[in-house]
Amino acid sequence: MMARARALSGRIQAFVVRDFQLAMSYRIEFLLRILGVVLVTTTLFFMSQIFAGNLNTPYGQWRNPFVAWLLGLPFLNYFMVGFSSLANAIRAEQTQGTLEGVMMTPINLPTLIVSSSAWEFVQATFQSFLYLFCGWLLFDVHYQGSFVLAVAFLLLTTLVLASFGILSASFAIVFKRGDPFAIVIGTSSALFSGAFFPTEMLSKTFGRAFGVVAALIPTTYGIDGIRRVLIQGQTFDQTRQPFTALVLYLAVLLPCSLWVFSRAVRRAKREGSLIQY
Amino acid sequence: MSLHSNPAVRLESVSKTYPVPFAAVRRRFGLKTRTPVQALSDVSFEIRPGEIFGLIGRNGAGKTTLTKVLATLVQPTSGRVTVCGCDSVRQAGAVRARIGLATAEERSFYWRLTIEQNLLFFARLYGLGTRAGRARIDELLATLHLSELRRRRFGELSTGNKQRVAIARAMLNAPPVLILDEPTRSLDPFAAARLRGVVASLAAGANAATILLTSHNLAEIEELCSRVAIISHGRICAVDTPDHLRQRLAQQERVQLVCRGVGRADVLDQLAGWTAGLDVEELGAAVAVRFSRTVDDDLLDRVSRTLLRAGGRLVSCDTERGTLFDVLETFERDAAEPPALTPAVAR
Repeated sequence: MMARARALSGRIQAFVVRDFQLAMSYRIEFLLRILGVVLVTTTLFFMSQIFAGNLNTPYGQWRNPFVAWLLGLPFLNYFMVGFSSLANAIRAEQTQGTLEGVMMTPINLPTLIVSSSAWEFVQATFQSFLYLFCGWLLFDVHYQGSFVLAVAFLLLTTLVLASFGILSASFAIVFKRGDPFAIVIGTSSALFSGAFFPTEMLSKTFGRAFGVVAALIPTTYGIDGIRRVLIQGQTFDQTRQPFTALVLYLAVLLPCSLWVFSRAVRRAKREGSLIQY
Repeated sequence: MSLHSNPAVRLESVSKTYPVPFAAVRRRFGLKTRTPVQALSDVSFEIRPGEIFGLIGRNGAGKTTLTKVLATLVQPTSGRVTVCGCDSVRQAGAVRARIGLATAEERSFYWRLTIEQNLLFFARLYGLGTRAGRARIDELLATLHLSELRRRRFGELSTGNKQRVAIARAMLNAPPVLILDEPTRSLDPFAAARLRGVVASLAAGANAATILLTSHNLAEIEELCSRVAIISHGRICAVDTPDHLRQRLAQQERVQLVCRGVGRADVLDQLAGWTAGLDVEELGAAVAVRFSRTVDDDLLDRVSRTLLRAGGRLVSCDTERGTLFDVLETFERDAAEPPALTPAVAR
């Protein structure tokens, strides 16, 4: 068991080191990303100042829109990394032609799944916490509640989105392009998850059906959970509802997606199309 | 084909047909479907431990599919492949741990990383720790004469050096079975000769690797391989030693006699109609007479006597038996039916 865990961590480390070395070969892009975080945080702050002193909202998490955005946007980005990183990694390996080289080693499928997306998570974690840090350092934002609980929401939502990501990668392996999960999850999350505005406004404006769509998207629970903890200071008992929803999603999606992925790889091996893109 | 009790690689009736995606659905809706491509058909052979085994055939004959089936990258439609006793479908991970594949595909590396960074990444995937990985990489780079280039980005290397890096990667975990797909394709003659030396040394000694070598360089196959399989249209036409293959098929030889003291016109006059493929050429003051004959017939004797009678003086006599190329050519020609043991066209 220990040996297996050590082997897994060694392989994840190999992928992270490789991707770090590749990222370092494009140094300017790395620096521009950091600058980008500072600029976006500043922009969000000044946008929020439009409402300063005039905001009388029934939506508890939105009394300070700057903090709501600061927690909504980076974590939406984080969840999207969970969703897209594997398919991106598979596509990148396919287009570079390196997937065959990797699949020639004795690495197993779950290890490939975890390892190939590890660097994107490292980057997304760094970037998300950079947003929070900029908010605290430059604009005096104070976070409440348990950071551990917030991280638990973060991990749980990421795993759920990663399960969709595994389905997306399976699609990329078999059909190469035109991923329906990217359209459904990727584009609808921004509108329905409450990252930019309260989800309740959707059902008030367009009817209950839109509220149902928002309730079906796991990202909604993730962002809501993190805001409840860090903005409203809620405890685990108070956030039980979004937490349970995410656990249920995970229990169903993770085994399904792993099964679909192994079928996709087997099919690609049968068709001899593993490295085609 | 005799079965070795414990072969390094065994293929039993392996067939591979690449299916047409969604063919059943397309047929159901009355849409046209492509014909599935049969890349391998009933392929059976064994490779003994420590043997260098050649696989030759023209482009599209099925060599690459066969190597990918062995490397578990493509699943056979039917039949069974075992590598060191492990089944390639049910124990794919174990097979991959025992096999190293070096292809001529340059894109299978990270071009912005150095040779060392690339190899260290793959070494970790093979389960080598950083220290053990570095030690192994040092050893391989020295063997393949790449030590000085270790910090050079892969994308900056020449094609030949990229090929050598691919071989180094295949050897990272010192696998008992190595598949080398055209390893000297882009190497200069000196580098190719050095690499052939390396390949030969890998299959020698106590920890000899079993090597499957595919190449279009038939001289290289003859030099290195103890046995050769000829593949054509996805079928194995023959498996034998290069000598036996030549003997089986090349019952003809090409003869060149050089003589002085007689003119080209005289020779043509004397020998016209004697034999097919007669070629007479003036070489300065001498005349070269070339013709094909069946080994051990009396044609050489009769031609020599005729030339001598015409006042000629024989200066040299060279014969060239059929090469592996002739053998391959014959099998290709007869691919549709089992090859008859008729003389190959001598060269």
